[in-house]
Amino acid sequence: MSGHARKTFGRGGVHPEPHKEATAHRPIEDLDPPPAEVRLPLLQHLGSPAVPVVKKGDLVRRGQLIAEAEGTGVPLHASISGKVKPIDKRPHPTLVSAETITITRVDDPDLMPLEFEEDLQWRGLGTTEMLLRIRDAGIVGMGGAAFPTHRKLQLPPQARVDTLVVNGAECEPYLTSDHRLMIGRSADIIEGARIMARIIGVTEVAIGVEEDKADAAEYLIAAIEESEPHGIRVRVDLVRTRYPQGAEKQLVQALTGRAIPPRRLPHHVGVVVQNVATAAAVLDAVRYRRPLLDRVVTVTGPGVRHPRNVRAPLGTPLTDLVDFCGGLLPDARRLIAGGPMMGRALPRLDLPLVKGMNGLVVLTGEGPFENGYDPCVQCGRCIEACPLGLQPDQVSIRVEAGKTLSTEPYGAIDCYECGSCTFVCPSGRPLVQFMQVAKTTLRRAAETRPKP
Amino acid sequence: MSDGLVQIDNPEPPTTFVVTPGPHVRASESTARIMWWVNGTLAPAALWGVAVFGLGAALVLAGSIAGALAGEAIANRLMNHRGTLRDGSAFCTGLLLAMTLPPLLPWWAALLGGLFAILVGKSIFGGLGFNLFNPALIGRAFLMASFPVAMTTGWVAPSPWLRAGLDAVTTATPLALLKEHGFAAAMKVISGSGWWQGMVLGLRPGSIGEVSVVLVLLGAAVLVARGIVSLTIPLSVFAGTALVTAFTGAPLLHVLGGGLWLGAFYMATDYVTSPTQRNGQILYGLLIGLLTGTIRVWGGYPEGICYAILLANALSPALDQWFRPRRVASMGTPS
Repeated sequence: MSGHARKTFGRGGVHPEPHKEATAHRPIEDLDPPPAEVRLPLLQHLGSPAVPVVKKGDLVRRGQLIAEAEGTGVPLHASISGKVKPIDKRPHPTLVSAETITITRVDDPDLMPLEFEEDLQWRGLGTTEMLLRIRDAGIVGMGGAAFPTHRKLQLPPQARVDTLVVNGAECEPYLTSDHRLMIGRSADIIEGARIMARIIGVTEVAIGVEEDKADAAEYLIAAIEESEPHGIRVRVDLVRTRYPQGAEKQLVQALTGRAIPPRRLPHHVGVVVQNVATAAAVLDAVRYRRPLLDRVVTVTGPGVRHPRNVRAPLGTPLTDLVDFCGGLLPDARRLIAGGPMMGRALPRLDLPLVKGMNGLVVLTGEGPFENGYDPCVQCGRCIEACPLGLQPDQVSIRVEAGKTLSTEPYGAIDCYECGSCTFVCPSGRPLVQFMQVAKTTLRRAAETRPKP
Repeated sequence: MSDGLVQIDNPEPPTTFVVTPGPHVRASESTARIMWWVNGTLAPAALWGVAVFGLGAALVLAGSIAGALAGEAIANRLMNHRGTLRDGSAFCTGLLLAMTLPPLLPWWAALLGGLFAILVGKSIFGGLGFNLFNPALIGRAFLMASFPVAMTTGWVAPSPWLRAGLDAVTTATPLALLKEHGFAAAMKVISGSGWWQGMVLGLRPGSIGEVSVVLVLLGAAVLVARGIVSLTIPLSVFAGTALVTAFTGAPLLHVLGGGLWLGAFYMATDYVTSPTQRNGQILYGLLIGLLTGTIRVWGGYPEGICYAILLANALSPALDQWFRPRRVASMGTPS
């Protein structure tokens, strides 16, 4: 670790109450008992939905392929052994409703989970084979975005990259799943990172960890020291605990000093970014050909009796996760998938755990905007908080006045909706939503504008 | 474990949940909290004004605040706005206006001032957040135009014994004396009770809230410490005033003898009517300072801060257009 413990991004940012103490010291626990039923939506990633290869009544073993990758998508595997129920539309945490394969658990010696043995030749594999294994394992970005990992690792031919950035910042309040994974699977994360570095052809790996997780950084450093470098230098950089430190642009700026221009991908400045949980899954895929079957999710918040970091099969009903954590408290009122800054509110617990869900935060008390909001007093706090130097105040005033097209100079089109502006707004204005409206309108206007 | 008991005593956990857009957590500061902090930190200086000038000052305070609240209530009714009386902003306008008024102004004039400040200074623009000018100072300008005599002769010599305003001795303010009769006369009215008591404790003629520089400063320090007010604008105002008045022979009198502190910390910093970007704020503050000094030294009024702020308010939207935050795209180049 370098002595630069204060690396961070250039401007803006906020300091929400971390609320991580409830689970930061709790090792990852396996869901027990395993779920009686899992619901696996065919679309849990950005891209085309998977195509089922099983039908109603089929018996499947944990680890077995149940839906094939289609187009830009990834395949899906049975996360428990059991019997396939009718494949139909079921509630989905982000898509409202989507085609879903439901499996009811069958405890039968003939339906033991598939075994995945180590491929002893895994270090010698070529790029194409490694990418294929990553895709076939159904791996997507596990930090929340759920972009298929094999696609993120396939760069356009003109791209020149020199660094892989591994994101262990976990800047969202309440969440500790990456924190505990960095402690529990530090060596696997390092090896997974080396695999990805080899695929994109770089020799530098920088892992960014926020200062409040210095213990995790120690584990990673120890794992680096114990491992063979195989020509790839891995370093751990402590970054300042500051939201949105874990956003791609902000982390890349902190670790490499390079600014990613608006609406460009990190490879534009020679960097690829992957999450720590994705790195661990990549190792499983390449070394053992083990598909993505489980994920770690932090179940926490003031509305949960016993907050925990839980590893559960994909498709587990959120109800089972909550029951494993002692159930909800009577004053539980809001259910957030992901962290409270960028996560989305869910209407009910009757929903499956999906690949991109790193947290389930149960909040009490009144939500933002439940009582409306007040006029902008132009205090400037949102401008100060914006990591991109945009002006949410001006955008919101103009959208309210019905002059959305005049918001162009204030930068809504660059906004990636981190929510820092809304977090600090004393008038409780839904600034992110105003930015979304402006962004959509401006994009549409740009598309319909006749080309000169 | 008492889990069983807890479950019996309490209602069942919910099965449906409230869906609101994110982010789902908030910083604790709200506009109403900010306004009440401003009011709270102004209170000591206002109460000191009552202690120094007597009950007349209390009537002016009550009248002005009542007028402002009445104006807000009327506007809410007329425009079908939701209740904004408790957000502290109308109260703040009334309080600030009163603090700029002479202690002997009739209470009903103060009430009219408060009413005018809210209705014409704020509500006709669309209410909180939409006004171009500082409402309290609009109220003051209205009173200056409507009751010029009461507004320029309603000053009273300090009387620490809480006498009623009726038998108080009227006098002129230090800055008025400086303008009309020169430095010596101004110093004389201040050092009636000793020079530093006059300047620092506020035992001198002046408007209700301006005289205790120490209490205004303490209040402002609390706002700065809480991050409600930044020092950029006040320091620029002081710098601008100092620049103009430095060579008049009475720079200290200009800094301490009028309403500069109240204006710089509590009125020039009004969020709605001041620029949001630092460079814009520096220009805005300097402009206020320069105008204040200019009006005081060469203009027709002994005190200039009120009109200086109003004039700078008019420029504030333009300053926000000229000075923009730097977009991150332009910070640093890809290596």
